[in-house]
Amino acid sequence: MAISRYLTPQKISLLVLVNLYCDSVPTSSATIPILSFILSHLVPLVSSNARSTHSAVYQNVGFSIQAFEDVLLGHASTMPGRTVLDVFLRRMWEINSFDALHDLFSNLGELLMRTREDAEREAAAGVVHPVDQIFLSRTSPLGAFIRRARLEFTRLQFHDAMKLWSAFISYRAPTAQWTRRIAPLASTGVDAIVADMGMKENDPLFEVAYGHLEGEDITEQVISADDFDRMLEFQLDQLQRLGCRVPDEMRKQLRTMLGPSGVVLRQSHLVKFFDAWKAGDYTSAFDNLHRYYDYAMQTREKIHYQYALLHMAILQADFGCFGESIAAINETITTARENQDMTCLNFSLSWLNHLTKAYPKELKRAGYIGMLGSEREGLLFLKSKAKETKMYNLLGATLLNEAKLCLATGESIPRAFEYMYQASHLNIRENINIYGSQMLLESTLYSRLGIVHISSVHCELLLHCYKGSAPIDEQIRAIGRCAFIASQSGRYDDALALLESIPLSTHRSLKFHQYIYHCTGLIKLRRAIRRTNWAAVDQLLLKLTPDSSTDPELTFLLTEARLSSLIQRGRHPEAFSLIESLAQELKDTNADILQRVSMLITKANLFAKVGNAERGFSVALRAASIAFKARLMPSLWQAIGLLANILNAIGEFAAAGKLLDAVIPQSLEHGDLSLCATLYAFQADCSMGLAGQDDPSTSNGQRRRAVNVNKAEYYIDRARECYKRVEDIEGECEQLCKKAILAKLRGDEQLAEEWAQNYLATWNAARERIGEEVV
Amino acid sequence: MSLSAHDLVQLQTQLQDAAISCTERCLYQSAKWAAELLTSLPSSETDGSDTEVNSPMSDGRPPQTPDRLPKDPIETRLEACESHKYLLAKTYFDCREYDRCAAVFLPSTLPKGSIIPSSSPSTKTKTAAKGKAKAGTPSKAKLTFESVQGLSQKSLFLALYAKYIAGEKRKDEDSEMILGPQDGGVTTNKELVGISAILEEWFTYLPTSGRQPQGWLEYLYGIVLAKGKNEAAATEYFIQSVHQYPYNWGAWQELSSLVGTVEELNHVAPSLPQNIMTYIFHIYTSQELYQSTEQIHNQLNQVLGIFPTSTFLKTQRALLYYHTKDFDEAECIFSNLLITDPHRIDSLDNYSNILYVMGMRPKLAFLAQLATTTDKFRPETCCVVGNYYSLKSEHEKAVMYFRRALTLDRNFLSAWTLMGHEFVEMKNTHAAIESYRRAVDVNRKDYRAWYGLGQTYEVLEMHSYALFYHQRAAALRPYDPKMWMAVGQCFGKVNKCMNGIRAYKRALVAGSYYDAGAGSSFGSQEGAGLGGGILDPEVLYQIALLYERLNDMQECAAYMELTLAQEEGPEDGEYSGMPGEPMGVGVTPTTSKARLWLARWEYMRGMFQRAMELANELCQDGVEVEDAKALVRDIRARIEREKDDGRSDAVTDGSRRVRNRG
Repeated sequence: MAISRYLTPQKISLLVLVNLYCDSVPTSSATIPILSFILSHLVPLVSSNARSTHSAVYQNVGFSIQAFEDVLLGHASTMPGRTVLDVFLRRMWEINSFDALHDLFSNLGELLMRTREDAEREAAAGVVHPVDQIFLSRTSPLGAFIRRARLEFTRLQFHDAMKLWSAFISYRAPTAQWTRRIAPLASTGVDAIVADMGMKENDPLFEVAYGHLEGEDITEQVISADDFDRMLEFQLDQLQRLGCRVPDEMRKQLRTMLGPSGVVLRQSHLVKFFDAWKAGDYTSAFDNLHRYYDYAMQTREKIHYQYALLHMAILQADFGCFGESIAAINETITTARENQDMTCLNFSLSWLNHLTKAYPKELKRAGYIGMLGSEREGLLFLKSKAKETKMYNLLGATLLNEAKLCLATGESIPRAFEYMYQASHLNIRENINIYGSQMLLESTLYSRLGIVHISSVHCELLLHCYKGSAPIDEQIRAIGRCAFIASQSGRYDDALALLESIPLSTHRSLKFHQYIYHCTGLIKLRRAIRRTNWAAVDQLLLKLTPDSSTDPELTFLLTEARLSSLIQRGRHPEAFSLIESLAQELKDTNADILQRVSMLITKANLFAKVGNAERGFSVALRAASIAFKARLMPSLWQAIGLLANILNAIGEFAAAGKLLDAVIPQSLEHGDLSLCATLYAFQADCSMGLAGQDDPSTSNGQRRRAVNVNKAEYYIDRARECYKRVEDIEGECEQLCKKAILAKLRGDEQLAEEWAQNYLATWNAARERIGEEVV
Repeated sequence: MSLSAHDLVQLQTQLQDAAISCTERCLYQSAKWAAELLTSLPSSETDGSDTEVNSPMSDGRPPQTPDRLPKDPIETRLEACESHKYLLAKTYFDCREYDRCAAVFLPSTLPKGSIIPSSSPSTKTKTAAKGKAKAGTPSKAKLTFESVQGLSQKSLFLALYAKYIAGEKRKDEDSEMILGPQDGGVTTNKELVGISAILEEWFTYLPTSGRQPQGWLEYLYGIVLAKGKNEAAATEYFIQSVHQYPYNWGAWQELSSLVGTVEELNHVAPSLPQNIMTYIFHIYTSQELYQSTEQIHNQLNQVLGIFPTSTFLKTQRALLYYHTKDFDEAECIFSNLLITDPHRIDSLDNYSNILYVMGMRPKLAFLAQLATTTDKFRPETCCVVGNYYSLKSEHEKAVMYFRRALTLDRNFLSAWTLMGHEFVEMKNTHAAIESYRRAVDVNRKDYRAWYGLGQTYEVLEMHSYALFYHQRAAALRPYDPKMWMAVGQCFGKVNKCMNGIRAYKRALVAGSYYDAGAGSSFGSQEGAGLGGGILDPEVLYQIALLYERLNDMQECAAYMELTLAQEEGPEDGEYSGMPGEPMGVGVTPTTSKARLWLARWEYMRGMFQRAMELANELCQDGVEVEDAKALVRDIRARIEREKDDGRSDAVTDGSRRVRNRG
C-alpha cells in the first residue's frame, strides 16, 4: 500500500487547530504555546543558526493524538469553562463524514487573507466577518501550510482521500472517551451517515465501509512521504554530524514503516549507506552509495555526481584502499572544477590535505604526489579560498589545521594559539559548530605544554557541554585522552572504567570499536609492562599489531609501548634497531616533532639502560633543545632527566642535581608519575653521588654526607612511592634494593635485611598477581 | 399473482437450470441475474431448508433440484463426445484467452473482417461472406462449415461467443483514448463477419439437419445482427431465442434495447411467449421507456410477490419512482438495498444521480466511499465518485472519473451523459456535444442526453438545431414539463410563436400531471415543490411574452394575470390544502416581472388606479424597486395632469387651441 505524499491524520488535526486559532478560540495566553506546537510540526528540520539547539530535540513525526491533549488541556478557551482541548475535540468530531472532511479542506481558503476580489465579492454578498477572526497571510508559515494542504488534497485521488479518512478515524478514535462534552457527538460513531441509516458496528454495511479499520496497522497510515523525508533527513543529519550508526530500535521502526509501503525513498539508500559504512560493511556501503546516486541521477540532479565521488573517496580511504581513494578524489576535484562547485572543490581539497597528513606513508605508496605543493601553501590556499567563498566551516577547519601544523613542526606556540582563537571566534560568530575539534586541539596543546589539568578539563568540557553536537569520533578521542591521563597517574582501573563506560551502541561502528579497542589494549599493555607480566605483554602486542587503518597516533603510541617492553626485558639490540628504523621513518614522513623527540629520548634512555649513558649525551641534549624550542615540556623534562643521569654517570652530581631541581616541581605538577619516579630516582642517584664526593674525614663532610644520604633516602622513598602508584614493579624493587644498600651502608644490617625481605615480598607479590592474572 | 407449489418448484428448476446453462456458456451476467432471482424466491416447503445438506436425512441429492429438465438427445450425445474439449475451451474463456477458446472448436480459416469497415456489416455480411466463398476458396468455406456442423450447439455457441468477445476486446483496444481520434465508430468488431457467416449457414441448414434449436445461437445471431444495425432481423431472432429458451435474461435485455418506443413494445408484445419472464421483461422495458404508470407498478407488485427479496425488481421500482421524480421514495428503496446488500454496486450510479438531485452530499460521499471500498474499478463506482466531485463543483476531477468509467466500459451510458454535463459546466461545448452524442448512440432512449444536446446547441445559439433534440427529449418524456419548456423556448427563439405557445401549454399540462415534481438531474430547482393545481408561473409568463410578440395583448394580459395568480394559489375548496398554509409560490422574480408588466400595461391602458396598486406592491416586495418607483412617479404625474386637465379644461381650452395653431 502506497503511503500518502503529504497529508496525514496529524496534519488534519493540525488544520483543525489552525482553524481554532483563526477563530480566536484560544485565549491570548494560550496562543504562543499552541502556535509553537503547530510550527514545531511544520517547519523543516534543517537547522538554521537560530534553531540549531532546538532541532536537537527531535519531534516525532508520527506523534499520537495524545500530543494534542498534552498541549491543549492546560489552556482555556475564550468560551468560558471550556479548555481549548474541549473545543478542539468538538471540532474534530464534527468532521463526522467523508463529506465533512472534504468541506474542511474546501473551506481552508476562508482562513487566508482576503484578496481584493474576495473583499469586493464579500462586500457585495454582505458577508461580515467577526472582529476577532484572524486571517493568515499567504506567505506566512501557517498560510503556506494551509495552501499546501489544500493543494495536496486536491491532488488526491478519491480512494486515496478515502484512505486518509479511514486513517483519520482510527487516529481520532481514542479521544471518544476523553471528555463528557463530546460524548453526544462521538456517540454517533465514526460516520453520521451510517448512523442516520440506522447502522451500528458489525452490521454488514458498516463492515464494508469501515470494517477494515479494525486490524490495520496504524503506523503505516499516519506517516506520509513528506514526513518520511523529514525523518530521513534528520537521520542523515545525525549520521553525518555525529558519525554514528542508526540505532537498532530506530532501524526496526524504519523498516516496519518503509517495508510494507513499498515506497523507496532516495534518502533511505543514503541512510543505509552511512549505516553500512559505519558498520564497516564495505560492500553494502558501496552498493547503497551507488544505488542512491543512481536514483539521484534519475531526477536529473547532475550536481550530485561530484558528491558521489567525494563520498566514494572518503569511503575508500576509510577502508584503507588509498589508491582508489586518490583516484576518486582526483576525479572529484576535476568534476567540481568543471561544474564550478566551489563548496565541493574546497571541501575535497581540505579533505585531501587532511588525508596526506594522516596517512603519509600509505599515500606515498599509493603513488600520490602532492597536489597543493607544500602543506603550508595548501593551507594558505584553502584559507584564502574559504574566505573568498565565505565557507566559514572550511575556514575554521583550516585555521585549526594551521594550528596543528604549527604544533607538529614545533613552531611558536603563540602562533598556534592565535590560529586557534581565530577559529574559536569564527565558531562563535558564524556558529559553525567545530567545538569538538577545537576542544581536542586545545587539550593537545596544553598537554604538550605540560599542563595536564587544563588539558583534561578541555576534554571534559567537550564531553559535558557539546556531547549533543560533537561527532562521536571526537567524543571518543576525548574519552581516550582522559583515560590516558588517568593511566599516567596510575589510575589504571579508572581509565579502563572510563573506556568501558562508552555506550555499547558506539561499538557498532567499526572504526570506533577499533579505536576503543586499541586504547584499552594500550593501557593494559602499559600496565602489563610495568607489572612485568611478560606473558600478557606478548599476548597484547600480538593482538594490537597496528595496520594501515589504525589511527596513526595510536600506531605511534603502540610502537612506543613495544619499545619500552623490549627495553625492559633487556632485548636491547632489537630495541635499538627498532628505534633506528622508526626514527628514519618519522624523518622521512616529516612526522610530528613530538614523536621524533620521543624517539631521541628513547634512544638516550636505551643507552642509559645498557649502562652507557654517556653515549646518549648528544642525543639527549638534542632532544632537550628541540623540546625546549617547541615547548614540549614533558619531553623536555624527560630529556633533562636523562641529561642529569648522564651527568651523574660522569660524576657531575652537583650540576645534575641543579637540573633535576629545576624540572622536578614542574613534572610533579604535570602528574606523570612514571616520569616523576624516574626523576626522583636520578635525584637520589645524584644525592648519593654527592654523598660519595663528600669527604667523610671531616666532621663537616660527615655531616654533609649524612645529609646527602638522608636526602637520597628521601628521594628514593619518593621514587618508590611514585613507582608503586604506577605499579612499576621493577622500579619499585630497584628502589627497595637501593634502600637495602643504604641501610647496609649505614651498617644497620637488620634494617637492610628488612628491606631485602620487603623487596622479596614485593617481587613475589607481583609474581603471584601475575600468576593470578594468567589464571 | 400467486403461484401454486408445483409452479413454484417448476420455476425454481427453470431458474436453476438457467443459471447453470448461462454459466456453461460463459454468459456470466445472465447467470448472475438468474441466480439472484432464484435466491429471492421464498424458501418453499419442498426444498427442506430445515434439514442440513450433510445430514443423513437428505438423500445425497441437492435439495433444490426436484426434477431435471428434459434434454435434447442429439445435443446430449454431441456434448458428451466433446466434453473434454468443452472443458478446455471453458477454462480458456474463464482465463480470458478468448481466441484460444474459439480455436478449440473452430478452425482458424474463418473469413476475417469485411474489406470496407465503415459500411454496415449486416448488409455486407452476406455479400462479403458469399463473395469470399465464391471468389476465393469455396471448398475451404464449405469445409469450415462442415467442421462446425458436427459440434454441439453449446460448444458452437461458446466458440462463437468467445470470438465475438475477442473482437469486442480488440475493438476497444483499437479505440484507444476516450474521445480520442480513434474513438467512436472508427473501429469495428472484425469478428462479426465471420460469426455471422457461420451462423447464417447454420440457420439455413437447420431445418434439414433434424436438430432442435436451443435459443442460444439465435441470441448470439441477434446480437451480431443488432451490431450491424439490422434491427428488424435482430428482433426476430431474439424473439425466437426467448421462445426457445425464456430464461436467458441477456436475450431479453437485448430485445429491450431494441425497443425504442411504447408503440414498438406493444407491437412486439403479442409475439412473445406467455410466461413470467415476459412479464419481467415488460416491466423492465417499460421502466426503460419511462412508463411509470399505475399499471406497471401493479405488475411490479405482483412479480415482487413471487420474488419478495429480489434486488433487481426493487431497483426497477426505485427507478420507476426516479422517473416520476419521486426522489424520496427512490432514495429510500436504494438506501434499504444498500443495507441489505452492501457489496452490490449495480445501479449505484442511478442512486448517485438521485442523491445528486436531492443535494445529499454527505450521503453521496458515503456512497462513493462504500463503492470504492468494494471495487474502485467498476464503471458504476467511477460514476458515483464523478457525481460527487461534480456536486462539489470540481468538474475536472469529475470528468476524470467519468473518463475512467468509460475506459472500463465504453458502453456505459450514464457516464457519457454525465460527462457531457460536466463539459457543459466547463464551457467545453464541443466535447459536451460529442459526449452526449455518444450517449445517444449507446442508448437512444436517454432523454437526458437528448436534452443536453439541445441545451448545448442553445448555448451555441443554434436554436433550430437544438429544437430537434428537445423534441426528441420531449417525445421520450412527454410528461416532463421541462422538456416542453425547452421546446417552447426554442420555438420562441426561431420566431414560431404559435408552436412555442403550444409547447408551453403542453408543459403546463405535463406539469399538472405530476403530483409533486422536484426538478431534474440538471440541478435547477425551479418549479420545485409545486403543490397540486399550481401552474408554473415561469411557463405562464413565457406564454404571455409569446402572445405579446404576436400582439395578442388580451391573451397576454390574461396570462400575466394568471402568472400573478399563482402567488396566491388556487381558491380553497377544489384543492383543499391545509388551511392556513399558503398554497401559492409566493413572490418570485417571475411573478414580479409579470406584475411590473401588468402595471405598465394598466398604465398604458389608463387604468392608473390598478397600475398604482401593482407598482406599490412591487415596492413593498422589494423587487424591481427602481422601475416600480419610476412608474409610480409617472403614474402620479399622469394622475396629477389628468386632474389638472379636468380642472383647467375650460380655462385653457381657448389658449390650447391657439397654441395648436401656432
